[in-house]
Amino acid sequence: MSAKQSSILAVALGFMAQSLSACVSTPPPAPEQMSRTQVETAPADLQLLCANAVAKASGVDSAKILPISSSKIDSKTYQVELDAGGKKTSCLVDTEGNVKSVEPI
Amino acid sequence: MTSSLANRSVASTSNDRRMAGRCLILGAALVMTAIGATLAYAAQTQVFDPQTHKWVDYDKKKARKYYAAHKEVPEAFRPQMVKFRTAEAPGTIIIDGNKHFLYLVQSGQQAMRYGIGVGREGFGWAGIVRVGRMAEWPTWTPPAEMVARDPNAAKYAAGMPGGPDNPLGARALYLYEGDQDTIYRIHGTPEPWTIGLDVSSGCIRMRNDDITDFAARINVGAKVIVLMQGAALYKGV
Repeated sequence: MSAKQSSILAVALGFMAQSLSACVSTPPPAPEQMSRTQVETAPADLQLLCANAVAKASGVDSAKILPISSSKIDSKTYQVELDAGGKKTSCLVDTEGNVKSVEPI
Repeated sequence: MTSSLANRSVASTSNDRRMAGRCLILGAALVMTAIGATLAYAAQTQVFDPQTHKWVDYDKKKARKYYAAHKEVPEAFRPQMVKFRTAEAPGTIIIDGNKHFLYLVQSGQQAMRYGIGVGREGFGWAGIVRVGRMAEWPTWTPPAEMVARDPNAAKYAAGMPGGPDNPLGARALYLYEGDQDTIYRIHGTPEPWTIGLDVSSGCIRMRNDDITDFAARINVGAKVIVLMQGAALYKGV
């Protein structure tokens, strides 16, 4: 195969791949994930995993620890702010439920 | 339809009514001061449209239209068992007010999830409380302030009997902070299309079938954790 034929074949394959990818739509989310909010907060279970971690780290009664805000900081990590008996605390937790850090604010 | 905040059962005392009135006044003051903060967190609900494969805003108008067309709420707000990683004991109730979900923790890192309607802007609250008592098809009695301004409510000044049109719906769970009634409830609703929206005066509403199923699964005394980003009020912490 000549260089010219190779380049034509490459261009043709490129167009074909592009056409095929245009036909493939993103799969719909699972039924339990078919709602969301414009401003994404951390899932409730992850917020409470942070509350549990703060209770262990601070010794504050878990009945006095409440997540008060959260946000997604990258595709796999959420930041959760908590009120621990009046003291503000920040927690990082990943989407797998691993608490990465707990720090006072 | 009405102010859920002021709803109460016939079993409540006149003391409850006075407390509800005070809470309404306090609530109004809190609204003014907290509304700015709440607006900053205002989180518009969106649902996935399987026909267009797009996320669309879900407001009162669209919710009503959806319900009229499908006789159902969107799939995400129907009861379903979901993965839920937690150290909380089975039987604990967790409310995610922002995402409009109520979770009932089960064993095996799972939870039963229901769709809910929550407090509109300025009426959101968060905290750790407990179920103080429950009632089936409770009577609703509007507070004096509502009776004075709303002729429809005035008809029920002596109490609206429980039934399909009653704002409290099929069940009411009265949330307590220690031994004190918070005046907030988890209750049913005759307006099922409002699930997924910020519509109430602070009560948590569920479809009547859902609250009936849910109430049968829980015990009085159950711990209730209410998460609400940008809340105007905190209870029990």
